[in-house]
Amino acid sequence: MTAILIVCVVFLLVVVGLAIRSRRSRDAVADFRRQIDALSPEARKDVADRVRKIGELDDSVESGDEAVAQEGDDDDGS
Amino acid sequence: MARDLAIDLGTANTLVYMKGRGIVLNEPSVIALNRQTGEVLATGREAWQMIGRTPGYIVAVRPLRGGAITDFEITERMIRLLLQRVGVSRFTRPKVVICVPSAITEVERRAVTDAARRAGAADANLIEQPMAAAIGADLPIDEPVGNMVIDIGGGTSETAVISLGGIVALEAVRVGSFDIDAAIQNHIKRQHGIAVGERTAEEIKMAIGSASATDEDSTAEVRGRDLMSGLPKTVVLTAEEIREAIEDPISSIVDSVVRCLAKAPPELSQDFLVRGMYLVGGGGLLRGLAQRIENETQVPVKMSNVPLEAVVLGAGHVIEHYDALKGMFMGVRR
Repeated sequence: MTAILIVCVVFLLVVVGLAIRSRRSRDAVADFRRQIDALSPEARKDVADRVRKIGELDDSVESGDEAVAQEGDDDDGS
Repeated sequence: MARDLAIDLGTANTLVYMKGRGIVLNEPSVIALNRQTGEVLATGREAWQMIGRTPGYIVAVRPLRGGAITDFEITERMIRLLLQRVGVSRFTRPKVVICVPSAITEVERRAVTDAARRAGAADANLIEQPMAAAIGADLPIDEPVGNMVIDIGGGTSETAVISLGGIVALEAVRVGSFDIDAAIQNHIKRQHGIAVGERTAEEIKMAIGSASATDEDSTAEVRGRDLMSGLPKTVVLTAEEIREAIEDPISSIVDSVVRCLAKAPPELSQDFLVRGMYLVGGGGLLRGLAQRIENETQVPVKMSNVPLEAVVLGAGHVIEHYDALKGMFMGVRR
């Protein structure tokens, strides 16, 4: 009777252990998938937009500087 | 309820990104204090303008060197003031993600997170600068391809190979823009016998500094204090002599890029030849540096569209997708 009880308990522990392990590995796969999805170009659209905006702003500032430099050159020439 | 923040706590500049709003602060990492009372007199740009120009009772300092905190208390006060400026109060405590060099020690990591928590953050997590830079530079790091990013900051230079959202190979040296400025200061002191300040050295670097010979080799007139007579003196520096003066720090940076390439797995190495590597950080703006790295590695080097903001934009993306990307924080078991 005791032997049967021990076998049942061991069997139960093995089943629970396997279930936890399988769940953990499923969670790891889901977490990895979620991380990769969050790094995808679609998810990073906001970042890309902000990069473009800053780039455009820098370009406009640079072209403004050039205009000032050219004006200065004209002044020197005249 | 405070909006969560991403902070690029750099040796040279500190940038803050607010969730849903973008970059809300971009200032030099400098704080000016009253030496006698310990009171903060200015931070950021205002304090930066005071460097080397303060009376005896005021001290304007950079509390970070080589990407690490050198003065914990001052750094904490600086972070607290920065957080206050972006609307964080005693009652609104945000989650904060801070970008730090990947090579910092466990003790240095704890110093940064403790400083942020004491300054008002509800929770502070760290992310490696090259990883944040790769996200901010919009590299396809979600794909199984080799992405290489070189981040040259004020105190550190880091090169990383990134694939599938993780760092595959990494090489970091505690050499950055400030070491280039220091090399210029030493050269002028040794060769011309005059002392110039940190800011003047930086201006010389920006005006005529280069990492490789360029078409337009120019000169710059520099005013400093004669070390022998103590009187103001003017000297003319050439681009060539500055190039030679900064050779040591430049070589250290280029060598670390070469070492990182050597560490990369062969499957990813072939990707670099096609895709190139991306340069970010203020140090990357040095004239001829991209060309020099390209010549020594035979790999194309591209400049990011946002070299100064890439790191904080990347960390900002992480704060926008906090739950999905929290596995990327430093010290989290992967």
